[in-house]
Amino acid sequence: MLDASESPAVAPISRVRTPHETRIERGEPVGLAAEVGQSKRARIQRMLEGFRDQPIRLNVDRARLLTESMKRTEGQPMVLRWAKALAHILQNLPIHIEDDELLVGSAGPPGRYAVVYCELVGPGRFYTHPHELVPSKPGEPILITEEDVATLKGDILPYWTDNAYHTATMNALPEETRRLMERIFVVTPTASGRSMLAWAHDYGKVLERGIGSIRNEVAERLAALDPFDTAAWVEKRPFLEAVEIVCDAMVAFAHRYAELARSMAGSEPREERRRELLEIAEICERVPEHPARTFHEAVQSQWFVQTVSRLEQAVGGVIGNGRIDQYLYPYYRRDLDEGRITEDEALTLLESIWIGMARSTDLYAKPGMPSLTDGFAHWEATTIGGLAPDGQDASNELSYLILKSKREFPLNYPDLAARIHSRTPNAFLHAVAETIKDGSGFPKLFCDDEIIPLLVAKGGSMEEANDYCVTGCSETKMLNREGIATGCAWINLGAILEMTLRDGRMGCYGNGLVGLSTGDPRTFKTFEELWDAFTRQIENVVQHTFIQQHVSDTLKSRHIASPMFSMLHDLCMESCKDIHSGPIEDALYLGFFDVMGFGTVIDSLAAIRSLVFEEEKLSMDELLEALDADFAGHEAVRQMCLHAPKYGNNDPAVDQIGHDIEACFSGLAHRHTSAFGGELDLRYVSVTSHIPLGAVVGATPDGRKAREPLSESISPSQGRDVKGPTATLMSISSTKCAQYKERAARLLNMKLSPASLAGEEGTRKLMALIRTACDMKMWHIQFNIINRDTLLRAQQDPEKYRNLLVRVAGYSAYFVDLTPALQNEIIRRTEHEF
Amino acid sequence: MSDAPKGLVFNIQKFSLHDGPGIRTIVFLKGCPLACMWCSNPEGRSTTPELILSCDRCIGTDECDRCITVCLEGAISKGEDGTVTIDRARCDGCGDCTYVCPSEALETSGDWVEVEEVLRIVEEDDAFYARSGGGLTLSGGEPLAQGSFVRALLGAARNRGIDTAVETSGLCNWKTMKDVAPLTDRMFFDIKCLDPEKHERVTGVSNAKILDNFRKLRAELPEVDVVVRTPVIPGVNDSERDIRAIAEFVTDAGGASSYELLPYHRFGEPKYEKLGKHYRLSHLESPTDARMAELRQVAALA
Repeated sequence: MLDASESPAVAPISRVRTPHETRIERGEPVGLAAEVGQSKRARIQRMLEGFRDQPIRLNVDRARLLTESMKRTEGQPMVLRWAKALAHILQNLPIHIEDDELLVGSAGPPGRYAVVYCELVGPGRFYTHPHELVPSKPGEPILITEEDVATLKGDILPYWTDNAYHTATMNALPEETRRLMERIFVVTPTASGRSMLAWAHDYGKVLERGIGSIRNEVAERLAALDPFDTAAWVEKRPFLEAVEIVCDAMVAFAHRYAELARSMAGSEPREERRRELLEIAEICERVPEHPARTFHEAVQSQWFVQTVSRLEQAVGGVIGNGRIDQYLYPYYRRDLDEGRITEDEALTLLESIWIGMARSTDLYAKPGMPSLTDGFAHWEATTIGGLAPDGQDASNELSYLILKSKREFPLNYPDLAARIHSRTPNAFLHAVAETIKDGSGFPKLFCDDEIIPLLVAKGGSMEEANDYCVTGCSETKMLNREGIATGCAWINLGAILEMTLRDGRMGCYGNGLVGLSTGDPRTFKTFEELWDAFTRQIENVVQHTFIQQHVSDTLKSRHIASPMFSMLHDLCMESCKDIHSGPIEDALYLGFFDVMGFGTVIDSLAAIRSLVFEEEKLSMDELLEALDADFAGHEAVRQMCLHAPKYGNNDPAVDQIGHDIEACFSGLAHRHTSAFGGELDLRYVSVTSHIPLGAVVGATPDGRKAREPLSESISPSQGRDVKGPTATLMSISSTKCAQYKERAARLLNMKLSPASLAGEEGTRKLMALIRTACDMKMWHIQFNIINRDTLLRAQQDPEKYRNLLVRVAGYSAYFVDLTPALQNEIIRRTEHEF
Repeated sequence: MSDAPKGLVFNIQKFSLHDGPGIRTIVFLKGCPLACMWCSNPEGRSTTPELILSCDRCIGTDECDRCITVCLEGAISKGEDGTVTIDRARCDGCGDCTYVCPSEALETSGDWVEVEEVLRIVEEDDAFYARSGGGLTLSGGEPLAQGSFVRALLGAARNRGIDTAVETSGLCNWKTMKDVAPLTDRMFFDIKCLDPEKHERVTGVSNAKILDNFRKLRAELPEVDVVVRTPVIPGVNDSERDIRAIAEFVTDAGGASSYELLPYHRFGEPKYEKLGKHYRLSHLESPTDARMAELRQVAALA
């Protein structure tokens, strides 16, 4: 059959450009287009000018102050040590207020900064070669002073040599587990890369009650401790004292800003700025200690909590904004009703948060890390829409205002997530679809109808599940109910396939056994024998993954504590336990393991089944020989592999293989209980790891050449889904094993051409597509609405396309900042257009 | 062997957004009495399965000569550019070469399929129809050239609650149209130009029967939802006079739900080479957006 996708991309189609494309081609600044001038948001424009040209400065002070304090508190309970260290940081960290700022508080030096965390990864390359610190975006300017290096080497390195969490977890692993983990990119543990997976606070609690009320509660509980309840005295008292220290330190930290603002006001010649500084001072004297009264106070209170979070610990994906349209709404509504705020002023404050987030960048201290999260914007996931705790729709004016800001704000913040459910109002979905059509990849969509029942199955109450927020790339959290999740391990399914085909070995690791010896596939008489070997390899890898995770979980509280995170969590406060020292009573522990290369491996197994066992067009020997040679001299074999049936085309026989793979992993997850009595869920979120993970995998029977990227997340192999997006969605849906609750995100990236969604008619069709994806219970779907020729032009002329945002995985990034490998990968993702 | 009627289908395309309401699946039926110069589905013309050769997919006779070896008629041989070439006069359409070709450079266009099989594929996307108001669109080729199959297909679709549309050139016997039209939710009726001589020159057939069918359709079955469409081909029917004439004819004949103008495009060109055919309009540019807007004004006047 002739295939519509073969039609060449002729000019008429790409006449339809997204607003994002048009603005970049005209050389206009993205966003803020019309309103610069009289608008108060000229302030935002001024703050952004030259933003991306600023070099990243290091915040070494946090590590220095933490280390200083930790040295003085050896032997004390960890939660108390951490509280004292945090207080020491908040008291002594240099602070500043930049011109034009209305929202104050920063975890680093002026401009763009990166906090250096010392307690996780420990020494090694990081400290011995601080000149080689790498920014998360390749090629970004980074400013490392000789003083920074001296501080790192002199004051910090020696202490953490024996104390870092990473060293401890690796040393504690059983021999065979460690051996597997040391084969880079077969199983990639991320437990020591961050203190926990993405998190969000109950900001609403701080806004309503104020830190002062938490301080009072703790003081009362301390006073009420029975002196002869020895266990409580020994175990609970340090926690309560730690919270007390942190509350005081946070209030004092805000007061430092108040003082600074007042003193700056004293010497400020511009009357208007002087008034602003005085207002800042008043607000910082008020929050976060007391309940917020206005939108401005609420935003400032939230931001202080975020800032201190960044100083307390290195959370994976940083700290989420939670359901921002919910907890900020009462303050916005009241200010509007009482004439205290305009829409524009509210937008300026919201965008001040976005700028605050954009100022911070991530550093990678571990060789190889940048390629795992290429162009990595951190994920301060910002949730809008969805159900309210009582099951009614929760969208409000603020939800729409945040979408408006998303369309106008030129940086790739916030990482906006819209919750969609079966009764999401059309008007909200319309605004979401229009925002998606702008072409910058936002917002990402989360399906309540999939997520809420799962959260209930996992143990959440209806109210808690309805009120979940998005965190990180594609995770969710029930605040005040879930415990922390330790960094998850990434399982390379491509490597597992290669071990199956090479009797437990991998080409890039030579002759030594990496997995199990499951036999030479040339001796297999049926596909079932191959399948059996494959599942044994999976079981082996999963077994060691679980062991690694267990060790990481249990060792953590010896190395890390987070009194600030804990005091904002109802269950930690209830039990007087630090959030890292699980198990906390009633807390649900929902961790993950990620499977990478799902599409590649489904396609490979489907090819083997049809070519070798069903049609007998190839012998196993011929196939393996071609793979060994990376298909050199075996082009006909490669073509057969490429044209074998593929996942993503709604072919039931192929999709069944995916279903069986998922059943295998889910079954293992179902049998397993994690260290704190929770579960480790199957997840498919590759971020950009499918590129480096692919680099260790030889040629595969789907026709993929050695070292090429694996398929990404739950998506079909790049460019192999040729029957349109409906078939792609159907295939993805068919591979799901919904009988298990041990499931988490399945992330789908879908690329659509602007032409297919042109006009109001196109918007309606996108809405219908989203509604259907929601009916099909897709956990997470996100769109790239972009012309292929734009991407190609951006590769040729990166300077002009510097602002071109594309959706990479759970986040959007600047296309020109991505490595060529990832750029090509995005271009190859199938563009659906008819 | 089942007695159920079979249709010759050359493509089933999902996620179609521009051929009827909502998200649709288009079933392309093979065989067409017209031979429009601009036809973008040349594989839809012939009434039998055809061999297609995509030279860009062929990995070359140095790597692979499976098709040459397998062809008992000797219809395939080495070509000048290192790929293969087909002697279509010798090809008996057995399809053996398509089975052995590793890269799908050789494929057969056209499969005989039953109603149930078509509907099974169409219904794979019913979740999308439910949300978007979409459904099944029959196109071609000329679907009404396979009248009994189309009747069976539309009847079964109606029983199963699937929204349907039929795209027709209007050239078929009146009885087929009269039987089919009440079974579908809307018809897209092509009227290419009113001048009979010009029509014959560019499509190979007279327009008399087409216009007659349209008049009868409006007169005898006025309840059928009919959308008239004209593909605007520069130099053929892109004058305001051409479009006004069609619009006036439609009005006189009893009107239509709407009158749509579709700009000419060249997407079909690569297919000609694959079929061993010559594309006569390779120099022709699509009409500009501005020109289309002007013509749409004329179309709206009537």
